[in-house]
Amino acid sequence: MKRALLLLLFALPLAAQQVASTSRGVLVAHDGVIEVGGWKTDGVANATGVVVGEDRAAVLDAIANRVRILDLEKRVAETKTVNETPIAGVFIGSTLYILERDARALERIGADGARASIQTAADPAFLRQANGILYVYCRAPGNVQEIPTDTFAVRRTLLTKPFASDFEIDGTNGYLVYPRAAQIRSFTLATMAAIEDQEAGAVPVDLALAGSTLALADPSAKRVWMIEGEQSFTQAFARGFLRGLLGIGLLGNRDSAFPTGIDKVLVRGSMRVAYDSSSGTLYRFTKADAAVIATGVAPGAFALTPDGIAFWRNGMLVAQKLN
Amino acid sequence: MRTSVLAIAILCCLPLAAQNRMATDFEMQQMERQLAQKRDFRSQLAGRLNLGDLRIARNEPALARAEYAKALELAQKDRLDARKDSSFTRYASDTAYAGFAAAKLGDRAQAFALLEEALRYTSDDPKTWNLYAGAMALLRESRKAVSAARNAVYIGGEPLDLAVYRYTLASALLDVNERSEAETLLAKIVSDLRSPAFDDLKKSIAKKEAFEIYSTASGDESTYLSLLNRAQLRLGALHETRGDVAKARATFRTVLDARSDDAMALAAMARLSAGEERERYYAEAFAANPFSTTLIAQYRKETHPADAKTRGVQLALDQMARGEYRAAQTTLDALLAKFPHNDVLRSLRREVETARNDASNELRRVMTSWERLSPDERVALDQRTFTAVAAFQATHANGQTVIEAGTVDGVPFRFSEPTAFNGTFTDRARLAFHILGVTQQNGADALLLEPLKLEALP
Repeated sequence: MKRALLLLLFALPLAAQQVASTSRGVLVAHDGVIEVGGWKTDGVANATGVVVGEDRAAVLDAIANRVRILDLEKRVAETKTVNETPIAGVFIGSTLYILERDARALERIGADGARASIQTAADPAFLRQANGILYVYCRAPGNVQEIPTDTFAVRRTLLTKPFASDFEIDGTNGYLVYPRAAQIRSFTLATMAAIEDQEAGAVPVDLALAGSTLALADPSAKRVWMIEGEQSFTQAFARGFLRGLLGIGLLGNRDSAFPTGIDKVLVRGSMRVAYDSSSGTLYRFTKADAAVIATGVAPGAFALTPDGIAFWRNGMLVAQKLN
Repeated sequence: MRTSVLAIAILCCLPLAAQNRMATDFEMQQMERQLAQKRDFRSQLAGRLNLGDLRIARNEPALARAEYAKALELAQKDRLDARKDSSFTRYASDTAYAGFAAAKLGDRAQAFALLEEALRYTSDDPKTWNLYAGAMALLRESRKAVSAARNAVYIGGEPLDLAVYRYTLASALLDVNERSEAETLLAKIVSDLRSPAFDDLKKSIAKKEAFEIYSTASGDESTYLSLLNRAQLRLGALHETRGDVAKARATFRTVLDARSDDAMALAAMARLSAGEERERYYAEAFAANPFSTTLIAQYRKETHPADAKTRGVQLALDQMARGEYRAAQTTLDALLAKFPHNDVLRSLRREVETARNDASNELRRVMTSWERLSPDERVALDQRTFTAVAAFQATHANGQTVIEAGTVDGVPFRFSEPTAFNGTFTDRARLAFHILGVTQQNGADALLLEPLKLEALP
């Protein structure tokens, strides 16, 4: 019996299921199909990511180098072959930008199908956008490349530290998470200048920003480091305030602790969810406590919706309200 | 611990045939002993992966998959244990191992997901990138492999580690036909490994009399030996492809100087030789690895001396080439009794079965349709020499064997008159003949044959 349980644990689904929240409802990509808002269309063989825009969405297949682009309003979709390993994307308006990691390229696909591509530095791992400007973090050299969409060319490059595990921006600042060094490094978007390194937990891996909430998943500490309700965390960063909180661990006793090591954190409004990718366990959490939502959920197979969480498990989409 | 991580990827980009060697019986025994004696995770994982590769080399894919599945299970369990222990470096490396094992099993989605997970924690670790590259190469995702290998080389490491990363990159580049850069890298690896910088390691290897080549090596000595072997094999193949026979031979010769039973080098030397030398290399290559599909395909493209004293699979191939399907079947059946899971033997056995039926069917068809053959078909048949194993009852006198009738491939035949052959043949021999027509034998139809030559079966 123990043996069977062990094997079941190993059988945790690891890929090919993606869930995202769109303007037309929850999108699920699974088993080669995409379902959203009562519409079902062909998908991709290996759904490895979803990009959501206002009325458009794109499902990425980083293994087969395909992108399925959906017009959610018109309910039409088309598949495009792209360069090697499309791992991330953003929509700005109806234009899709895709980061092709192993081609070291950023590709633009317009609503009319027009395509353009620019080279990035090595190992481009994260793509973010703010104010119509794209930011690509290239992991190996530790570059952040600023790419305005109007020129679609690298305008400025910040040389920072390589090998971050997450990159987020909030419209004013950018934040890079370094698990091995247990640090967060921030920089100002306006000047593309580093602020300073700040110690952060034991092994910080994933960062979520929303409004005045910052949450940092630290699987080693089995804890989400969180700050909320303060003026704004960007100001807190700028003043070194957060460094003190995280580094000294002042928030330790007040932050949520988990029975397993969570390594992903999502924040939307007042809803907060953490995820342990090793066991597929989803938690909701507050500053005071954490509770299991579901187990056996594949990475990427969950998303926060306007009023709760949706996740795909055992061939079913589950929607749950979060208070 | 350092090289055990690296070495997993050393051979992952090499054609499987290259890893084939019955000569690696020793390696198999070593791995089985390692599995029995060393219970730690890395020894167990390396043992399973090596055994899987050796099984693949012997064309025993079902047994190989079982080993890879055990490797995956081991890595999955250990990575979860590491996670519970909040040991994230171990978690990341175990996750990468699990991804690599999943790639060995051909599960691209799981391999990709696991390796991406490993990178979240250790994108600064060239070993993780190297494993990533190896896994992608196994899955024929060559461009991804090149990119990952470039990252490993970019991050770098100690000289032996860096040589491993360069090898992985070179292998991936070859998969996308970027030969020039690959050759430069391979030449650098060989030159670096032969440089004084590795003198201490070379002394240690000499002292231990180490010679084993593993796909998952543990320790610097094993990594050094395996890497040098593989890099030279790749380099030799590149010289050969370019038509530089002298350079290719010299490179393969160097491989054989270090290990005389390297099947890939022996097969290459056979390709690059002629006459007796070529046959000698073939014999050695088959002795080293009789189940290499590459070697078998290569051997079958060429004509070999009819009187060659061959054994095992090579004998079966010779028998098949001569149309001695019954004899080939006997040879293969004996081998299958010894290697029941071997896919190459099964495949050859099926081929022989089909060929036997075809040959027998052709002779029967000639016999039953003789009267309907057109003049042109008769002329064509007159000019054709058949060879088959004949079964007969003979009389013997004065060192001669007299035969009048029998069967060829199960079809009855008769000569126009009893024919004496020099030598003593008992009940079966290889007969070369022309078909003269159809006659009667014991009241049934039989082929009327003109014997051309009778030879003893090997």
